[in-house]
Amino acid sequence: MRILFLSVFMLTAILGFSQSVGVSGTLTDAETGEALIGATVVEKGTTNGTITDIDGNYQLSVSNPDAALIFSFVGYASQEQAVNNRTTINVALSIDIEALEEVVVVGYGTQRQKDLTSAITTVKADEITKTPTSTAMQSLQGKVPGVQIVSSGAPGSGPTVRVRGVGTLEGDSKPLYVLDGMFVDNIDFLNPADIESISVLKDASAAAIYGVKAANGVVLIETKKGSYNQEATVTYDGYWGLQVAQNVLEMANTQQFVDYALATGANADASFVNNAFQRYGRSRSNTNYPAVDTDWYDEVLKSYAPIQSHTLTASGGSDNSRYSVSAGYFNQEGLVEEVKNSYERYNFRTKIDLNVKEWLNLEGNVNITQSEQHVAPGGVWFNTYFAVPLIPVYDETNTNATPYKLANAQNLGYRGRQNPYFNMLYNDDQNKAARILGNFFADIELIPNTLSFKTSYNYTYNALNIRNINFEYNDGVSFNQSSLYKSNETSFDQIWDNILTYNQTFGSHSISAMAGYSYRSESFNKIFLQGDSLYVNPSFDNEELWYYTNPGEEITRTASGDQGSTFYGTSYFGRLSYNYQDKYLVYGTLRRDGTNKFQKKWGTFPTVGAGWVVSEESFFDLNFVDFLKLRGSWGKLGNAGVAAAVGQPTYQANTLAVDDNLETGVVAIKQYSYLDRWETTVETNVGVTTTLFKGRLSLDADYYIRDTEDAVLTVILPLVRASVKRNAASFRNKGFEFAANWNNSIRNVINYNVGINFATLNNEVTSLAGQQYLDGGSAEFRQRSIIGSPLEAFYGYEVEGVFQTTEEIATSGLLDEFVTDSNIQPGDFKYKDQNGDGVIDDLDRVVLGSYLPKFTYGFNLGMNYKKFEFSANFQGQAGHKILNRKRGEIIFTTDANLDAELVDNLWDGAGSSNKYPSAAGLRKGYNQAMSDYFVEDGSYFRIQNIRVSYNFGGGTLFGKNMPDAKFTITAERPVTVFNYNGFNPEVASGIDRQTYPIPAVYTAGLNLKF
Amino acid sequence: MKSYKFFTTVFLMAAVIFLAPSCDSALDNPQEDTVVESGIDYTNISLRKELIEGAYYTLYNLQWETYPLLSVRGDDVNAKGDQEPLLETEAFRYSRSFWMYNSTWLNLYSDIINWHAAIEEIEKFNANSNDPGVGQQYIAEINVMQGYELLLLARLWGGILIPTSSQAEDLYNSEVTSFEETMAYISNLMDEAMPSLLDVAPNQHPVVKGGITRSTALAIKAMANLEMKNWQGVADATSQIIQSGQFSLFADYYELFKTPGKLANENILELQYSDFGQGSGDAVRYLHAFFGPNNWTPEVSGASGGWGFWEPSMKYIKFMIDRGETVRLETSVNFTNEGIDSLQAQPGYSTLPTFISNTTRDNDVWGTTDGSANPRAIFSSGKHYLPSNQLIPGRTDYGSNKNFICIRYAEVLLMHAEALINGASSSVMSADAAVNAVRSRAGLGNLSGVTLDNVLDEKFAEFGMEWGIRFYDLVRHGKTSELTGYSDEDRFIPYPLQQIDLLPQLEGN
Repeated sequence: MRILFLSVFMLTAILGFSQSVGVSGTLTDAETGEALIGATVVEKGTTNGTITDIDGNYQLSVSNPDAALIFSFVGYASQEQAVNNRTTINVALSIDIEALEEVVVVGYGTQRQKDLTSAITTVKADEITKTPTSTAMQSLQGKVPGVQIVSSGAPGSGPTVRVRGVGTLEGDSKPLYVLDGMFVDNIDFLNPADIESISVLKDASAAAIYGVKAANGVVLIETKKGSYNQEATVTYDGYWGLQVAQNVLEMANTQQFVDYALATGANADASFVNNAFQRYGRSRSNTNYPAVDTDWYDEVLKSYAPIQSHTLTASGGSDNSRYSVSAGYFNQEGLVEEVKNSYERYNFRTKIDLNVKEWLNLEGNVNITQSEQHVAPGGVWFNTYFAVPLIPVYDETNTNATPYKLANAQNLGYRGRQNPYFNMLYNDDQNKAARILGNFFADIELIPNTLSFKTSYNYTYNALNIRNINFEYNDGVSFNQSSLYKSNETSFDQIWDNILTYNQTFGSHSISAMAGYSYRSESFNKIFLQGDSLYVNPSFDNEELWYYTNPGEEITRTASGDQGSTFYGTSYFGRLSYNYQDKYLVYGTLRRDGTNKFQKKWGTFPTVGAGWVVSEESFFDLNFVDFLKLRGSWGKLGNAGVAAAVGQPTYQANTLAVDDNLETGVVAIKQYSYLDRWETTVETNVGVTTTLFKGRLSLDADYYIRDTEDAVLTVILPLVRASVKRNAASFRNKGFEFAANWNNSIRNVINYNVGINFATLNNEVTSLAGQQYLDGGSAEFRQRSIIGSPLEAFYGYEVEGVFQTTEEIATSGLLDEFVTDSNIQPGDFKYKDQNGDGVIDDLDRVVLGSYLPKFTYGFNLGMNYKKFEFSANFQGQAGHKILNRKRGEIIFTTDANLDAELVDNLWDGAGSSNKYPSAAGLRKGYNQAMSDYFVEDGSYFRIQNIRVSYNFGGGTLFGKNMPDAKFTITAERPVTVFNYNGFNPEVASGIDRQTYPIPAVYTAGLNLKF
Repeated sequence: MKSYKFFTTVFLMAAVIFLAPSCDSALDNPQEDTVVESGIDYTNISLRKELIEGAYYTLYNLQWETYPLLSVRGDDVNAKGDQEPLLETEAFRYSRSFWMYNSTWLNLYSDIINWHAAIEEIEKFNANSNDPGVGQQYIAEINVMQGYELLLLARLWGGILIPTSSQAEDLYNSEVTSFEETMAYISNLMDEAMPSLLDVAPNQHPVVKGGITRSTALAIKAMANLEMKNWQGVADATSQIIQSGQFSLFADYYELFKTPGKLANENILELQYSDFGQGSGDAVRYLHAFFGPNNWTPEVSGASGGWGFWEPSMKYIKFMIDRGETVRLETSVNFTNEGIDSLQAQPGYSTLPTFISNTTRDNDVWGTTDGSANPRAIFSSGKHYLPSNQLIPGRTDYGSNKNFICIRYAEVLLMHAEALINGASSSVMSADAAVNAVRSRAGLGNLSGVTLDNVLDEKFAEFGMEWGIRFYDLVRHGKTSELTGYSDEDRFIPYPLQQIDLLPQLEGN
């Protein structure tokens, strides 16, 4: 890499320079003739520039008489003029409503922004690369109203993305990603720097052309392409930075933990503490407590971990060809000590357009990705939270332990080893992934500018090799065999699209029509095997021997096997849009989709939309309004993202022992998923788009009602440990989305922009196939979908407080018999007796909240001053709940540590706490019932991104031309504010059992353009 | 040029038009990698064997929480460990939201429903077979499995729902069957199954060695009748088992619960597990770690201990010492030094028999060598212990390769005695003879003119830590004053909340 840079610099240095020329002039408004103050004049291709003065005048010396100047001003269309040996150049700029002429990518084609009748938000390259991340979707957080992004902190893992609430309960409700025409399940593999734009098709009308794949919204990704007749440019874009864990949860230390353990009154707990005294001695500062006081998060978390990204792109074009070629490297280390946890990725991409004949255009696009991910072993975060502080990391007296003398909580009498270092030192979990993605198309112009036919073939090949190795070790109490698990997963997906497009204008009428056919297949295969007790004991020193080659041992049959599936889809679709004098817009699409995944094979998905550009009407005379459009649309979508339903009983093979022989038995499974209808979404969207004050202010507002019908829901069957999928629910998401942007300049020197956006979301179950409610979640932490309430709402008792005295219990209205039976004592929860019958039972449960935020918002600020750029993004979510499942773990084991906030505030006598029960009460069944003690407010506010850049370079150094350069410092997620008693408030499912901490990232970046 | 364009276009469009319909037919392709019912060849009657083995897989696949919940409430055992539901249940403080209640309910009912599915499938093969006898036998074996687990369910919850098909949804509209009706139902079900069952000892079962035979059905019938106090019904069933001559008491009580006792002649119903003679790779095992010691120093180093959750009670140990028990106490209880110390601290127990030691006869030492305390159990259950020197070298899981016995011939003998003392008659064997057979294997002298208390004491001594037999005996005979904290409404545990939400007809407890 370094050699490459040196040579690029040298190359630049060799280029010569020539003499400079002085140019001056005045900039005015083309309509009014007023001087434009603070407008920018820049020599094209350099950073050499100036700003107009109070009379609109400027002076600039340019490098040669053939240079070109670019004149720009906020709210006006830019102009370019060649100097051509002139010394005076006066320019009149026109107000820019041309932004609306901009073309937007829609499904299987493009449309002018102006003509849209649906809700599409596009995010451009500069905005995407602001976020230092491996995956581009993360950079949309807080920027697109109606799109909820829930970050994930683990290296290489992508965020959860939800468009307009939960579109389905199946899968993870993720949108369809269409990458240059190919359907992919995520874009985590893609280098964000290769992306030209991301368009989110939010409403049904925009998405309906993707039919059965579109119910969760559609995200269209275009990668960068070159331009015709453009000189080659080479760009380097990179950053290097550090990730720092944020908001690390404070757990009870030894003193707090021992106080709690003794307060429970349990003999076993007292005995563990005694054993800790015996084994590790007494604390010198306070001899009432054991000596060891381990802060596990401190032991497990690195203080920082590096992250870096480098991309080189070359692009350009001639008369009949254009290209863009890039190479990228990304590396992110994880935050866990000792064990490998990291993500490393290489991206190579080339995109070539050829105008081979006047009537024939060919494009080829190939994207190759190779990545290697080391996943922090599963139990690490779980153990770090739950491990008692009484044991150290290493324990020299644990003499049987090999190869490392790790402390083992079993030596104190606990059930488990607890020490997370067992997970960290004796494991390596590696995922190697490769992906080849290609798009090839031919575009034939049958009637110039009117009728064209395009056929395209899109292909992806994915390979994922998983290798999980566990080393042989002795934990001091028992011996553990080494084991190796390997799996190879491959998938081949292809799409063949054929599209006819027709555009024609007859006087004031213009028509655009499209008809298409698409064939799709998705084929998946997996082979996996496991073996124990490897011939050569594996360790980090002999990775070359991590193979299961010993012929003497048997592969574990019961953990080895294969899996596969092939799904087919065919679709017929069309679009018609009509425009009268740019005033009245009508739009419609229709798609007929077939798939072999369900019992019902075919579905039809229509949409219609209309728009009225009020500002084009002759009666419209509000001068400050540049453009005003009212729009409305209706559409129907399907969801094929649900797992295939087998639709009939199946036979499953299982192994058993009969007289010490391994036998295979068959179990007939008669509980099966049956989906005889398609999950569909019907949405109505109304919106307004306007630009005001010469383009300075733009507003977009949308209101939608989105009904999902025949939604596939997991139905818990009575009696059996089985749940099946049925088309059992209908629910409604509705919301209001708003985005506003203001651009202007202060005193003609500082250009700035301010944007805000917000979205509301109301989610409600509308029907449940005749039932009043459907249960979900787990039996202990019930979630229930009730008609009129949010989907899968947390469901349980309302805690009114904690009983302080026996008198309070006696006068609480609870029946004496109930109090005696439940053994209610002071220090136990006082649940709200909703029906007032003196008994707390299942009839007293109520909806405690939903994991879906009711309100999401973001705002941003951008500023330019001379060579400095500054931007800041903020975002937040409110109105949702998180189930603190970690605190709920006490239901399943009492052996674990608790968080400091809880331990510090436990009830220990009248008046001590009205929030948390007593130490003994925590372990009582009565207090462990699902209640809002476990369900906490998940709202947060975050400073998402702060960025300062300085432009330098250009001009000359030692008489040589220098490349344009920009140096940037970024702070990503430096501050998050929340009340939730957990590590981070971003929990996609709302159930926080084990989450990877989401780090703050601080980077320094460099951008060079040759 | 024009003609090229024309040609290319026509070619491409034609390709689309001709290929599209053939692509559409791909939608009719079946799903891969799933064996569906419609693809089964019901004339291939050999699949019946796979189905019956699948039914045994279901029976053997006993989840760890089921057994403790069934067995924790007696005075023979203390719950220890980090499971509040178990500790609370032992103290007769029940809560319908305890995870173990729902989980155990699901474990047992899932088996019963899956067995109905297996029966329905076997019937389809039988319809195509000119030898439905084997199929009928398999169905009868499955009926016995169902009877057994219905018995376990009713012992916990009293009134239960009795599934009659593989469709769990059918239960939405079914009524609760009372405890007594359930026992009668089980008794009838066993009667109906018996004619189709093989009349051999389970370890002579030709297809599934150790599987279910006529005697298993008789034993379960006896257990159901015992719960109904239909003493003659008990005596008739037990008499037939005794008379069959298929069973005998395994001479070595200690080894009965270890590797040598696998598929012994005493075992009427036994769950099978195995390491298949290999030191690594495939293994099918029960989670014996539940019973194992927190701390131990095994003869074979590296062998895992367990969780220390199942502690024989001091009451049981003193009872055994008072009776002069030797091998049964040695087999039933493993002692730590703390256990021995606290036993000796009890008045009258300062001198103990020599076999009471923290070291088993297989040289596994209970407790650590550094002398730190065992915070969980100071005794553990020896019937659920496999000596580390019986592990197949390479295996380290506690109790790996050990079977789990459900019904023993000794229980049949003592049920027989219990029935006769309560007024039933049998010409096959007297109550005295039955009790003395069990005593003699334990190295104890004969009794004559045995009373109910003699029999219940004998069962206490013989079946400590096994399946809650003691608890159900005490409740049946109203001797609940032995149970600390018990009151009459504590006989059955409450229905799990999740099940009430799904099945509102579950009321009462």
